[in-house]
Formats: sequence, structure tokens, C-alpha cells
Amino acid sequence: MGHRDIPVLETERLVLKGPEPQDYPNFKATFTSFRARYMGGPLNPYEAWMLYAAEIGHWEIRGFGMWMIHDKETDATLGMAGGWQPAMWPERELAWIIWPEVAGKGYALEAVDAARRYFYNSGWEGAVSYLDPYNLDSVRLAERLGCVKDKEAKSIGDDDAVYRHPAPAALNDTQLSHGIAMEVSHYQDPAFKPKGFALD
Amino acid sequence: MNAPTLHTERLTLRPLALSDFEPLAEFYESDRSRFVGGPKRPDETWRALASEIGHWTLRGYGRFGVDETATGKFVGMVGPWYPHAWPEEELGWDLMNGFEGRGYATEAGLATRNYAYKTLGWKTAISLVAEGNEGSANVAKRMGATWERTLDHPAFGAMNVYRHLSAEAA
Repeated sequence: MGHRDIPVLETERLVLKGPEPQDYPNFKATFTSFRARYMGGPLNPYEAWMLYAAEIGHWEIRGFGMWMIHDKETDATLGMAGGWQPAMWPERELAWIIWPEVAGKGYALEAVDAARRYFYNSGWEGAVSYLDPYNLDSVRLAERLGCVKDKEAKSIGDDDAVYRHPAPAALNDTQLSHGIAMEVSHYQDPAFKPKGFALD
Repeated sequence: MNAPTLHTERLTLRPLALSDFEPLAEFYESDRSRFVGGPKRPDETWRALASEIGHWTLRGYGRFGVDETATGKFVGMVGPWYPHAWPEEELGWDLMNGFEGRGYATEAGLATRNYAYKTLGWKTAISLVAEGNEGSANVAKRMGATWERTLDHPAFGAMNVYRHLSAEAA
């Protein structure tokens, strides 16, 4: 899939688009920071640029990849979400990262939910997320998305746990899918002001 | 942005693709890759290939996959290269095992220098050659480049900077 053919997904608050050259500074800011500690970072600027280039090349090679998440109103970037399966990945992964300054607004939930529905509609039978057990924000997000830890499945290294996403049928008009839609709609409601621990 | 296809006397320069992964993985696992950032595990090479392809989108140019026209065999990656934090726009070449000594790097290097000057509008270019990589230094010299200085590269260590003939002189 060429870069120009990357599909655009829209949700209530977000637009998911292919990674563009002008979005790189935001990507670099997060991946050279401590925020990237569970994604192989912090990276130096050269490594961050090469990874960003690889995110784009991944679309070309696999036909799917990571979208840049934009605020629909302002077009500002908020993070990335999508599919990820470089070499040595046992299964297709749903992955995400949210820029630290916009965490806690439910953007990752909304974006990953949309990405997962898109992939399931285009034929995926399932997906996993490889998560560092210390990455509690992401572990919680996986659980809110209905994932269950799969201790039998092969992982990508010694550190990461495998969280298995619900199969397409389990998200087809089920209590689980209604619950996810309800939580997404709460975050979309401007009057909703979550208190306490920030969740992505 | 995808690479165009260029032809030289013996070589075809075209966009890199997943089909190049196996020969690249074999090359980057071998000791010959020590001068160009290797050795690398195959999963690291896969990401590097994805980065090479993404370079075209980010910069509007990048390296080409080079095939031996007569046989269709993949002989290497050659062309313009300028990731973030790179000292200057570079012309780079990685030749796969078994294709050395035939002048392929020089032939493809000249074609991509021409592409960089005529199509991309570059005025000058460098090539970084790792200390001890005599084969690559000879390619630079055959192309008319001259040694300019050494550079302590943050990722690759001691590198020799070769300066190519300028766009006007080439």
C-alpha cells in the first residue's frame, strides 16, 4: 500500500491519517522522551527519525500500519494508533502511543477502538497487544478494550505480556462492545470531566 | 513518494520492496556489513528496510534497490540518503555479498549522483566511509570524490567524509 493510499478514519473527535513528514517533530518529542520507555526509548534523534520512517515503510510492506491521530477540530497530532507487525512479531498487533501532554482524555481508547473495527471489517480474525507489564496505562487500556492476558501465546521477547483482543464476534452487538462504545461516548461528551488517575 | 526506475548499462535501479528482505538480511547478518551499521539481526534489517522505504515519503527521495539487469538479481541499495541528524545529504551504497569487484557500486553511484543533481537539484553531496572500508573508499575515489575530513558519527563511530564533484563539475 503506497503512502498516498493509506485510508483515513474518522471518529467523533479524531481523524486518523497516515504519518506525514510535517508530523515528525511531535513524534520525535515523545520518542526521545521518557514516555517512550516501554517502546524501546528514549531514542536519539537519528533513531527516532529512522523509526518514524519505518512506521511509513510498514504501510508499504504490510498494507497496514500505524495512523497519526489528529484532533478533528485543530488538526493537532495526539499520538499514534494502528496495526504493527515487523519481522519476528508472532501475530498482528494493535499498538498505540499518546503524547504525554494530551493523555487522560480517552484518545487512545477512541482511536484503537476505531482502528480495531476497521481491521476487523477488512478481514482480521483477531489481534494481540504486546505490553510491558509495568506499562500500567496501556495494560488498563487493553483491559478496557476487552483484552485478556494470554499466557500461552508466544511474545516478542522476555519482557512483554501478550494481551489478546476479543474476536470480531465478541464485539458484534455484545455487552462488551456496548460498554466500550459507552466509555468512548463519555470521553466524547464535553461535560465529562474524569477525576483521579489519568487513563489514555 | 515512490522511487522512479533508472537504467544504466548493466543495472536497473527501482523502488525497494519486501522481496529485497531476504538478501538484505543475509548481507546484514554477515561480517561484510560491519562497515555499514551491521551486523544486524534479521528483525533489525526488516525495520531498516521499512525505514529505507519511509525515507522516500519523508524526504521525497531515498535509496534505490539495484538489480543486475541481465539476471534480475538484487545487488544492493544505492542512492541519496539524509535521515535526521545526518551531517549532510549523502550518496550511499551497500553492495550484497558476491557482487563486489564488478564496478556495480560505481555505476549505480554515478547514476544516483546524476539523479541527485539533475532531478533533486542538489549542489553537492558527501559519502561517509567507515574507517578501514577500503572497497567503499575506492568507489568514492572512482566517482571522482576526494577525502575531506573525518567525522565521529554518533551511531557509527569514525567515518571518513568524501566530497563528490559539485553539481557544476560533475
